[in-house]
Amino acid sequence: MTSTTFTIPSLETDRLILRAPSVNDLDAEAEFHSTDRAEFVGGKMPREQVFKMLATFLGHWAIRGFGFWGVDEKSSGRYVGHVGLWHPEGWPEREIGWGVMGWAEGKGFAFEAAKAAREYAYDTLNWTTAISLIATQNTRSQALARRLGATQDGAFKHERLGDSLIFRHPSPEMLASQQGDV
Amino acid sequence: MTIAIPTLETDRLILREHHAADLDPLAAFYADETRCKGFGGPLDRADSWRWMASSLGHWKLRGYGYWSVEEKATGLFCGLAGPWNPEGWREPELGWFTTAQAEGRGIAFEAASRARDYIFDTLGFQTLTSNIVPGNDRSIKLAERLGATLDGSYENPHMGKVLVYRHPSPSEQDADGNVEAYA
Repeated sequence: MTSTTFTIPSLETDRLILRAPSVNDLDAEAEFHSTDRAEFVGGKMPREQVFKMLATFLGHWAIRGFGFWGVDEKSSGRYVGHVGLWHPEGWPEREIGWGVMGWAEGKGFAFEAAKAAREYAYDTLNWTTAISLIATQNTRSQALARRLGATQDGAFKHERLGDSLIFRHPSPEMLASQQGDV
Repeated sequence: MTIAIPTLETDRLILREHHAADLDPLAAFYADETRCKGFGGPLDRADSWRWMASSLGHWKLRGYGYWSVEEKATGLFCGLAGPWNPEGWREPELGWFTTAQAEGRGIAFEAASRARDYIFDTLGFQTLTSNIVPGNDRSIKLAERLGATLDGSYENPHMGKVLVYRHPSPSEQDADGNVEAYA
């Protein structure tokens, strides 16, 4: 009996670990998705749907070779949320995405993790550009995209998820010329 | 972290992990309302892709999941078979579907039998169900041909009411692996 294997790498930043999504993330994600906080991050959904979402995150890695990581705070081991690289069928192009739990907001965690994900996309996967798709009303996430140096570059309407703005990240060359300012 | 998906073989079939190229026949299946109702459909192409991703991810979350069933001689994608137990299921089940092109040749039976052997012999399950939506007579017939019998119903959060067919346990099968009643 032979097997096919898919490997999901782990990344580390000063304060965070980015690792494969796990069934242990289900409780925290289900809690998050039971509240209005999830409005712009897939929406409110029951636990069964959240399980399916986590499974989709994992399978995305198998099909595309990249995907969302589950993010933990190193010092506490606490689940921060999911951050990563996303390009399901029907998406306009490859994006850097994030969805952070309520407790973890306002600490710069999403910024730190998204930066690590972008570095992985550029340095390891050799992407030459990346977008972030952000719901039109999600001003908080738009502020984070700007903080990452991304600028608005059009809009996209998803049949199920609705209207979003396309933010385009600085290219690898632009980031290099800024010498780590971003 | 690594996800490992084994490959199984029967006389005519290979049971293997989903490939990106399975999307075309999978999306065709999910566009056919008469066939896909018992499998969470209908779904458009983008959601068929997400379904396939979630099916791959199920392997990591549960340690088992669906295989794509491929006909050896032709390479034809014939459908899916495998153990399935996402959140909201009452207990693990053996699920399957067959594409229109592959129907009527005993392919689902061959794939489901091989998957069930793996479930009992390799995963070590002691019992196994199949959830079938009422009215899916073709699937009910296959469950019965596999020796499974009706054992109640429940409200599944994804599928609505499903009939629970229970397969003969390993101890109810004879030494050859055949179901007694059908030996």
